Amino acid sequence: MTFEQRTPVDFAIIGSGSAGGIIAKELSTAGFNVVVFEQGKYRKAEDFTHDEYSVLMHSELLGGGPQFSGQTFRHDESEVAKSPVVQPIRYAQTVGGSSVHFSANFWRLRPVDFKERSLLGPISGTNFADWPITYEELEPYYTKVDWEIGISGEPGPFDAPRSKPFPMPPLPLKSCGVLFEKGARAIGLNPQNQPHAILSEPFNGRAGCMKCGYCMFYGCEAGAKSSTLASMIPLAEASGHCEIRAESAVFRIETDSNGRASEVLYYDRDGNEQAQKAKAVIVSANGAETSRLMLLSASEQHPDGLANSSGFVGRNLMFNAHSSANAVFEHQLNEYKGVQASRVLHDFYETDEKRGFYGGGGIDARSLWSASPIFHALLGMPPDVPRWGKQFKDEFAHNFTRQMTLACATTSLAMDRNNITLDPKNTDQWGRPAIRATYRDHDDDLSMAKFLQDRAMEILDAAGAQKAWADPIHPTDGGEHLLGTCRMGDDPTASVVDRYHRSHDVPNLYICDGSSMVTSGRGQPTMTIMALAFRAAEHIAAAASAGEI
Amino acid sequence: MPNNSNVSRRRFLKSSGVLTGASLLKIGTPALIAITEAACSAKQEAAAFANLNVAAAADLAAIAARIMPTTDTPGATEAGVIYFIDRALGAEMQGMLEGLQAGLEDLNSRVTNQHTGSGRFAELEDGSQDELLTAIESGGFFNSLWMLTISGFFAMSSYGGNNENVAWDLIDFDGNHGAWEYPFGYYDAEYAKEKSIG
Repeated sequence: MTFEQRTPVDFAIIGSGSAGGIIAKELSTAGFNVVVFEQGKYRKAEDFTHDEYSVLMHSELLGGGPQFSGQTFRHDESEVAKSPVVQPIRYAQTVGGSSVHFSANFWRLRPVDFKERSLLGPISGTNFADWPITYEELEPYYTKVDWEIGISGEPGPFDAPRSKPFPMPPLPLKSCGVLFEKGARAIGLNPQNQPHAILSEPFNGRAGCMKCGYCMFYGCEAGAKSSTLASMIPLAEASGHCEIRAESAVFRIETDSNGRASEVLYYDRDGNEQAQKAKAVIVSANGAETSRLMLLSASEQHPDGLANSSGFVGRNLMFNAHSSANAVFEHQLNEYKGVQASRVLHDFYETDEKRGFYGGGGIDARSLWSASPIFHALLGMPPDVPRWGKQFKDEFAHNFTRQMTLACATTSLAMDRNNITLDPKNTDQWGRPAIRATYRDHDDDLSMAKFLQDRAMEILDAAGAQKAWADPIHPTDGGEHLLGTCRMGDDPTASVVDRYHRSHDVPNLYICDGSSMVTSGRGQPTMTIMALAFRAAEHIAAAASAGEI
Repeated sequence: MPNNSNVSRRRFLKSSGVLTGASLLKIGTPALIAITEAACSAKQEAAAFANLNVAAAADLAAIAARIMPTTDTPGATEAGVIYFIDRALGAEMQGMLEGLQAGLEDLNSRVTNQHTGSGRFAELEDGSQDELLTAIESGGFFNSLWMLTISGFFAMSSYGGNNENVAWDLIDFDGNHGAWEYPFGYYDAEYAKEKSIG
């Protein structure tokens, strides 16, 4: 299916990832004509490899590394943002977006996440706020994600209420999960199965997981990982109403004399400027890319960027803070087999005033460094082992199959100082101003990361680790979770989109992705992004059918 | 569970054709030039290396061999890390070539300053090599080599190193494997056993 550029399509959707892929499927199967713009290539399952050198060291799915992405990073405004060796903003540039390369740990938010500001009161220096919607409003869409995207798992002791069971049983318990279970129970905690957007058995005509071990950073060659590439985009294309226009990097949304979005300007694979007319535009490019595009689309009518009369575009960036603890055990775990994470615990999900700071989080047991050798050798070895020479080699040979990690993920507080802006100097491979991230974790986020890491060390000790060590905690220098930068809200002076993802300023412009999130949740945002996308699509389709766009 | 280092040791003995004890496995550094030359001319008659001259290749190979030394198990030399480095410096790591050449020059001037009579790094004894590398280990040159050595050792052999997957054998890892069957390791196997008994 190819649509003509000069005839307005019903919807131009920018981004084919967790949100864009779902919205494309929902709208196209409802009969609307949509063009999906994806700056990355159209890779399919058979294009994915186990090539660690290419995927990890050369950022194959991230767009080729910082020299191409042109991203820059700084901790605060006083610094000049630099382009570091490791890409600071890590999302996949490929059809299906980051749902292709993520580890697929799938948590719902809980009722508390949507109304925590009301429950706890304000936190000074932050934009901590309630969501305009509740868990109960989003629950049916979480269930839609479970059953349409394909989720494996079983309920845990603190889970939010669900209207339907998981469609598939959990993936097999790995050694890291067995040890985590043992250690956590010994100190009175309550681990549960990690839910995954990975098929534990054949589902909806797709194959089940073959446990190859290449989940994190890699695309799934079996199509068992429930990316939108595997689950949604085939249905969208089969509708006959959807064109996936890959290798098309959008650099501007044009508005007409009425201030309405009219056209999407983009670079094709040869770097030539192209334009697509559209009746309405939906931006689902992720919290960093979406913000940049809004800022790049400034015009006379929208001098501070499109949909930015509030000044909230790009603000309130939240990465979720992270910490980790690692251990070596006597026998082989072989964490390079199977999915990344096995068990998770949510005993510390809610804010506890006794801890002395805001926040909550989860701890999961996973391979992390030990999923592949280069990664492990570069980042995963104990700090007291030399980096080279005989001892390094011997201990590495011993540890690779005997090591595991407890990964802790926490809340991030929304703040003005953490944001996405246009880099004044650097550009990306297409010549667009680089995405400049300015970010310093809130002290409470780091305190929470430390609190969880201390618990993780206790768990590893109780599990019988021969040796355990905690990775140092410091303000992050980048992230994968790109949240909060075009937040939803009822107040047009303090949010970018309304509760249905329609921008307050431009009636035919919708934004739905991680940027919509008002709070960060406790660490695994993709399921919420997908639920929001199903919900947004329903409202967008209804509004379009009623002639209200 | 098999003891992984024994497995790789046996495989290494078999594949390298070395029949006697561990002392013969240790390839002496002065012989490195000869070995790389011989290996290259055997591999490609016309040009030894695509992007490095023989002396530079010998030095870089010697550094890689100190980072991942040959012991009773294979190291960077047996994995052919130098072929990975040579290839990478003409391709995805092209930008590193100049810096590495400058770093090598600096290293070799340290060699002549500190070891009268010695020509190049590759000709030094292991202990002297380690001393020199320790002195520069926080610098960019060493860190580039460190990253290249780790990459070349463990990357798929199609990139030029990890010859016959010796690096993967060393750590008991099979990167070419597709599907795995549960249980994956000792603890999940024990857990499954207990569950079936219980």
